[in-house]
Amino acid sequence: MTAPTVHLASVGTCLPGDPVDNATLAKLVGVDETWAEMFIGNTTRHFTVDLPTGEVRHTLADIAATAAGRALAEAGLEPYDIDCLVLGTATPDQLMPATVNLVADRLGIDNVPTYQLQSGCAGAVQALDVARTLLLAERCGTVLVIGGDVCAKHLERDFDPGSRTSAELVNYVLFGDGAGAAVLSVEALGQRVVIRQVLNRLVGLGREPGQVVDWFGLGDRHTDRTAVFEDYKAIEEAVPVLAQQMFWELMEDVGWGTHELDFLLPPQLSGRMSDRISDGMPAPDARRVNVVRHVGNNGNALPFLQLEELLRQWDGPGRALAVAIESSKWIKSGVALERS
Amino acid sequence: MTERAPIAVVGLDCRFPGARDAREYWSLLMDGRDGTDRVPSQRWDADRYHAASPSAPQSASEARPPGRSNTVRGGFIQDPDAFDPGFFGISPREAAAMDPQQRLLLQCSWRAIEDAGVAPQDLAGTDTGVFVGVMANEWAYLQLADYDRITARYGSGNGYFMGANRVSYHLDLKGPSLAVDTACSSSLFAVHLASGSLRSGECDYALAAGTNLIMTPVINIFYTQAGLSAPDGRCKPFSASADGIGRAEGVAVLVLRRLSDALADRQQVYALLKETGINQDGRSNGITAPNRWAQQRLIESVWQRAGVTADDIRFVEAHGTGTLLGDFIEAQALGELTSGRSGGSVGLGSVKSNFGHAEGAAGIAGLIKAVLALHHRTVPPSRFAADANPRLDLSGRRLSLLKAPLRLPSGTVHAAVSSFGMGGSNAHAVLASAPRTVHRGRDRAPGVFTVSARSPERLRANLLAQADVLTRRPENQLAQLCWTSNRVKSRLPYRAAVAAADLPTLAAGLRKAAEHPEEATRLDGGRRAAASVAFAFTGQGAQHPRMAASWYRWWPAYARHFDEIDKVLAPHTGRSVRDLVLDGDPEVHRTRWAQPALFAVGYAMAAALVESGIGPSYVLGHSIGEFAAACLAGALDVPDAARLVARRGALMEALPGDGGMLAVSMGAAEVEPLLVGRQRLGLAAVNGPRSTVVAGDLGELASLEQELDERGVAARRLSVSHAFHSPLMAPVVEEFRRECADVPARGPRIPVFSTVNGHRLTGEEPMNAGYWARQITAPVRFADAASALLAAGVTHVVEIGPRAVLTPLLARLEPDTGHPVSLHAAHPGEHAPDHRPQQLFGELWCAGLAPEWDVLYAEADRVPRRLPPYVFDDSFRAWRTGTAPGLPELSAPGPPDADTAVRRGADRGESCPPAPAGDLPDPLAVLTRQLVCRVGGHDPEHVHDHDRLHEDLGFDSIRVMELKARIEDALPRLGTLPIEDLLAGLRTVGDLVGFLRDRHGAAAPVPTTPEGTR
Repeated sequence: MTAPTVHLASVGTCLPGDPVDNATLAKLVGVDETWAEMFIGNTTRHFTVDLPTGEVRHTLADIAATAAGRALAEAGLEPYDIDCLVLGTATPDQLMPATVNLVADRLGIDNVPTYQLQSGCAGAVQALDVARTLLLAERCGTVLVIGGDVCAKHLERDFDPGSRTSAELVNYVLFGDGAGAAVLSVEALGQRVVIRQVLNRLVGLGREPGQVVDWFGLGDRHTDRTAVFEDYKAIEEAVPVLAQQMFWELMEDVGWGTHELDFLLPPQLSGRMSDRISDGMPAPDARRVNVVRHVGNNGNALPFLQLEELLRQWDGPGRALAVAIESSKWIKSGVALERS
Repeated sequence: MTERAPIAVVGLDCRFPGARDAREYWSLLMDGRDGTDRVPSQRWDADRYHAASPSAPQSASEARPPGRSNTVRGGFIQDPDAFDPGFFGISPREAAAMDPQQRLLLQCSWRAIEDAGVAPQDLAGTDTGVFVGVMANEWAYLQLADYDRITARYGSGNGYFMGANRVSYHLDLKGPSLAVDTACSSSLFAVHLASGSLRSGECDYALAAGTNLIMTPVINIFYTQAGLSAPDGRCKPFSASADGIGRAEGVAVLVLRRLSDALADRQQVYALLKETGINQDGRSNGITAPNRWAQQRLIESVWQRAGVTADDIRFVEAHGTGTLLGDFIEAQALGELTSGRSGGSVGLGSVKSNFGHAEGAAGIAGLIKAVLALHHRTVPPSRFAADANPRLDLSGRRLSLLKAPLRLPSGTVHAAVSSFGMGGSNAHAVLASAPRTVHRGRDRAPGVFTVSARSPERLRANLLAQADVLTRRPENQLAQLCWTSNRVKSRLPYRAAVAAADLPTLAAGLRKAAEHPEEATRLDGGRRAAASVAFAFTGQGAQHPRMAASWYRWWPAYARHFDEIDKVLAPHTGRSVRDLVLDGDPEVHRTRWAQPALFAVGYAMAAALVESGIGPSYVLGHSIGEFAAACLAGALDVPDAARLVARRGALMEALPGDGGMLAVSMGAAEVEPLLVGRQRLGLAAVNGPRSTVVAGDLGELASLEQELDERGVAARRLSVSHAFHSPLMAPVVEEFRRECADVPARGPRIPVFSTVNGHRLTGEEPMNAGYWARQITAPVRFADAASALLAAGVTHVVEIGPRAVLTPLLARLEPDTGHPVSLHAAHPGEHAPDHRPQQLFGELWCAGLAPEWDVLYAEADRVPRRLPPYVFDDSFRAWRTGTAPGLPELSAPGPPDADTAVRRGADRGESCPPAPAGDLPDPLAVLTRQLVCRVGGHDPEHVHDHDRLHEDLGFDSIRVMELKARIEDALPRLGTLPIEDLLAGLRTVGDLVGFLRDRHGAAAPVPTTPEGTR
């Protein structure tokens, strides 16, 4: 018996609230607009928290459920059609219960396996990998894959804008909140895009983490560890290299030539970085799908936002390839898509 | 054998022990809960008829004492005595005499049809069939034992047939209508007969139902005496602990259709009935003993006809009574077919494990469980499954008693349901999961959600019921949900409508409406016929950039008409007026654009409303508004009107901009003398008794303004480019008259209230070239024309245009006649919400009009989605308590007579004052209402003058005769009342009061005490 074909049936996303532009950030946290534009390149992002008041308006479960509901509706499916949920996030609402199960509850899904992957920017691809593996193994027929992150916890408001270093301010400009979801099915539903391959590989042996997000409890909440740390230099150096490696691995795995690629979804670090990485990737004819400039780096939501944009642009047959690099303990990952 | 076309289960409603509706039923099943309880005291005194089985009986009679049951438990539904008689127009007395099974079937049928996304009223007059499985007739035993108390109502209140016939009668269903009694398999038999009826084309919709209420301990005693009764009142199917039957109640209705019809209507389908079959044990080991071979043959033949084998069947909802013999025979019969199955075991379970054996409703209880399992793609567990009876060798037969929920795979899944009757009549069904259909709604499309009810208090409850579920629905279904509510829930007299573009806002709106249900207007059924709508077209000044753009975006019918009129205008304007408007070009304020743009918007709005069934009986237009009005009235052809408005605007714009307009707070008669000597000023508009507009030369206008200021008269300059309707317009009159020369002189099809002439146009006043030429300089006599319109018997006026200009003027002109005209602005202005057309539909519907809802929605949004069905009033209660013959009744209120008002629940917050609300009660009216309540058994607080005797109060000819006798008795002066007059002329309670007053004469004294009427 031949293995089933796994299809991407639909994508749904959710960006909370109105976009927050650099001028607003300049006003609220003292970010220099010109600097933000020149060095980071992100122009807008969305936050679950209302910056002026500090009121947290949505949880990850909220926006993930909205995105998932949209993906279901787009595929024309009901909650009971879903056999499994996989959610990737670096910022769950709580450590327990896992956010994926709260999302299932919102959607009215029960009696199915659920998984939550604790992961940075590669989490979405890892979630797709788990889903595809389950589908290929015929453990499930239709899987809902979700990715999302929220950074409200890390957005300090009550500080003197002048006292911040650029390393601290960069986080405000760089990151944002969002969620995305996709329905994968062995049936040719909705968009009928075939997922040819998903790869995901840890390559962090001996390497220092490029990004750390810590968490605190009652016992250690007063320690002076940094909540969020990024080694931008390391990221800037390593990500393009790893992205190229993943590109070639995937291409060779599916046997595509670089001229046969119609779309490329490069890693989304920041508007400026993504453009650079994107330009350096060896697929001359492929249209680039970059979204981070407008949606902010919202971690595990990004690949879904790229996929949504891809589907908007993609009509007719073709091939697409997506690469995501996680710079915490260094993971490279990617997806190959095809529509006949 | 070829497979036959499947039957689709499209709607359902049910009540079972521990579950008041299908949603609660599903959660009871999934949670594996026990629905049994102690026998409620309202049924009978459980202890009185109870005798526990001794552990070591010496004799059979000691083991089973006569007249006693071995259990005090069973599965009982909540509130079986509650009913909403007023909803169905049944009098409380008649309701009290009705078998509660009839009452509950009526409510369940209504709800099941609504669940199918269909208004029960839309099935009225169709060949819809009603098939009711029923084996309990205990009400009759209780009701009919006392021969002296038998009245006419008792005939219609009792009898199996009436269970089905009641539903057919009250819903006006003209297809087959029958009760089916094959004992415990009755309701699956009913489903079988319903499917056959659908397949043969005898009906297009079928209600298949089952009902069982336990009113006496008779069958408990019988089961005990036969050794079939479980002491704990619980069925433990296929379990080692199985020790007999526990009895249960249930009422359930399925709505069935041929699958092809359901798919064509894009109806949601729960599951499919692939094939059903029935047979008989024949001569088995005793008439009540099950027959393995007959069961096996039946299942085999049904599977064969369905084209499935044991390999295809994923789970079986077994009869599973939990008697050792019954379980053994069923396992053997089924096992013969499943034991050779490839792959894993077939899931096995029986809902009887949750609440017992629902007898007449047992088959449908199992069927609904299987239907919901296919729908949710999960089979609920069976209770007592962990302890399977090893003697049944279920695993050897490849049957797996479901200890935990079984998740079903995607794709087509088959299931089977068995139901066997005590007398040997067996039924079996093969089900399949519904085919997947995708009907995506338009993203972010707005809609208007409508809820209606029989009373303000029920409106509240139903608004809240809808609000509770809407936030959990997918957001792109909003318009589909709204359309469904319009289609299913818009026919009852108390109404609320909420328009929205997102579900949280919609739910919040419904909750807000629920806070003030008394504000909902009551619409009696006759109002629609009497509705008479006028369109009033707004004039220049109402235009603004992007005016009514949201109509274009969100109302396809408007967009179509706007596109069409734009094409007609284009040759004359040289540029798309549509694009000008939608792009938000401020040029729209220039007269050459303002006039055609307003014409286009007004025409498209009116045409879209007419297409929606909101057609005018009269039209009126303010200045430029008269062109669209004339088109609607048929006095002007649309291409002519388009050419003329374009030309008119261009001509006027070419005039020098040396004029202005001044609104003056004075009557026209006071203003006119002030114009004497001011040659370049004219009376431009008379909008109300103290609202006049003067137009003309700016210099003369300034001097007038000063004079008014000195006299302390308020005046306000209007922001206009030209002095319209003034002598300054005179230079273009002749050229425009020439432009109009070939306009056919034709009388309007719809009466036009002319603002040129200030009255309704007569046959001698054609809208010809002369008329249109005169219109340019003549004052707009709006006040006169509008007053004449309001006096013409119009019930609704809709202002057609992009801003509410005429509506406030009309409100001031409206005479105080006690019959207010309903005034609506199609589009209130720039700040109108994006879903204004939807909101307007809601307003017009609440005001008593019946729009064609389909026209409001795009094709993709006209998809039925399930909404919670109607929530009935449960304050009426009537019940009889079961007692043994010869024993005194324990608590038997019996049907309430005139003095024992039917018990009302405490949640009755309704505060309808008894009419009339005058300070001094009219003795005749009071007496009449008392007599009506006596005969019908109604609560006097809830009988109003507007209630219709037949439709609302349930007075049939028998009751009218009774009322006649009571009236004659109470008012002997009247003599004998002619029955023909009573039947023919009297529609409402108010009519009856009027009738009696006419006959009685005002002077005669009327007895005011109820005692005087006995």
